[in-house]
Amino acid sequence: MYSHIIYNELRKHSWSGIPREVRPITWRLLSGYLPVNMERRDLVLKRKRDEYFGFIEQYYHSRTDETYKDTYRQIHIDIPRTNPLIPLFQQPAVQEVFERILFIWAIRHPASGYVQGINDLVTPFFVVFLSEFVEEDVENFDVASLPLETQRNIEADSFWCMTKLLDGIQDNYTFAQPGIQNKVKALEELVSRIDEDIHNYFKRYEVEYLQFAFRWMNNLLMRELPLRCTIRLWDTYQAEQEGFSHFHLYVCAAFLIEWRKEILSMVDFQGLLMLLQNLPTIHWGNEEVGLLLAEAYRLKYMFADAPNHYKR
Amino acid sequence: MAKQYDVLFRLLLLGDSGVGKTCLLCRFTDNEFHPSHISTIGVDFKMKTLEIDGIKVRIQIWDTAGQERYQTITKQYYRRAQGIFLVYDITSERSFQHIMKWASDVDEYAPDNIQRILIGNKSDEEEKRQVATGQGNKLAKDYGMDFFETSASTNYNITESFTRLAEQVLAANKKDLDLLRASVTDELNLAALEEEEGITDGAAASQKGCWC
Repeated sequence: MYSHIIYNELRKHSWSGIPREVRPITWRLLSGYLPVNMERRDLVLKRKRDEYFGFIEQYYHSRTDETYKDTYRQIHIDIPRTNPLIPLFQQPAVQEVFERILFIWAIRHPASGYVQGINDLVTPFFVVFLSEFVEEDVENFDVASLPLETQRNIEADSFWCMTKLLDGIQDNYTFAQPGIQNKVKALEELVSRIDEDIHNYFKRYEVEYLQFAFRWMNNLLMRELPLRCTIRLWDTYQAEQEGFSHFHLYVCAAFLIEWRKEILSMVDFQGLLMLLQNLPTIHWGNEEVGLLLAEAYRLKYMFADAPNHYKR
Repeated sequence: MAKQYDVLFRLLLLGDSGVGKTCLLCRFTDNEFHPSHISTIGVDFKMKTLEIDGIKVRIQIWDTAGQERYQTITKQYYRRAQGIFLVYDITSERSFQHIMKWASDVDEYAPDNIQRILIGNKSDEEEKRQVATGQGNKLAKDYGMDFFETSASTNYNITESFTRLAEQVLAANKKDLDLLRASVTDELNLAALEEEEGITDGAAASQKGCWC
């Protein structure tokens, strides 16, 4: 009971952003990986980390087996293409970590297996857990310079937190990706009610929501935002109940409306698609994400519990 | 308003993950090449306008994710395409074997008069070659397609292959195009007609200057 209260307090305080210094431990707690009960923490961490490396020992060699070689091949192709512009992710030591995490996750979740985009979802965890050991610029830090045990702990923690995240959105990645198809439909429905102009504009120019929002759902907006913004966004997603599976929808709606002026100034299908697939967020930081989240919260408050009561 | 283009059509890039579909497209539309390009999720979009036999052809190119799990999504784009690139990687026998599967998907989901072209990409990586040029030629012949080996990295045969497919789509739809032209007075061009009628590119695509 006591730890339940602490957990809820932590969620409340985390919603509007977690300070960098306490983000790693807070993420471990919010994801449900680390117990709130202090006395159990060390034991649980040790057990989970050992368990992960047990999986590696038991299964990682099977990546070349007939059964798993396609899975491994796909992961192997995608790793160098994960955040290609950030030097950290081009380091062999880091790429090996990602290959192990993704391969073990994939073979333990055969209903979905590895799907492109899941590789992106490891990066915020990895960067946040690494940041515990790096004073300044994480994106250029040489991971191989850390003690081996530290490297291993970062890897195992990233694996488990990513696993917790994916548990909540697995139907995004199963056959025919029903989770994504439903969420894109829900986004369309929501936008038709909150901003008729944009909705009708898309209709007029034959822009389909799937053409831009598929990626928003599949990669949780990671392809649309700088990594620092995704990390801030995930503070809130982890503080929200069903943040990744449900609140994300409202964030996507708020994100779309954010570009209202730009959207309505386009005069053809091509212009719209080029804009929607390359939204200029490069300069975005905490302030923009904070406003986005506030608007998403407002939308959720107005529409989630009373889906028909309000029409503009 | 100045005429931007006469006709518009849609091309689609298909092939296994990692064969270089996005790189071919970036080279064609922006003349850029990034060796470690980010993977495509779902379907990406680019466009370019070419001039073929005095006709301004605007092409929308849809670049697809190669992984199998995405095919429920990507197949939704087949039926609206007029031309398809089937792309393999000359350094990957596997990607070449899979062309047959891609081709049969196209037969199943794309319109009957779809134009296809076979591309063997990464021709600059000769030392890693697993698929002989002759194999590509033979497969293309069996399927009645044109064939190009290309390199997005060295910009080899990129414009040539895109132009060829565009020409084929134009030729295959020439009858419609001629009909359309005959129905329009000399001064008017298709694009101008669309603009006058207030029809958008997309709407025009399904009604006028293109064959969707």
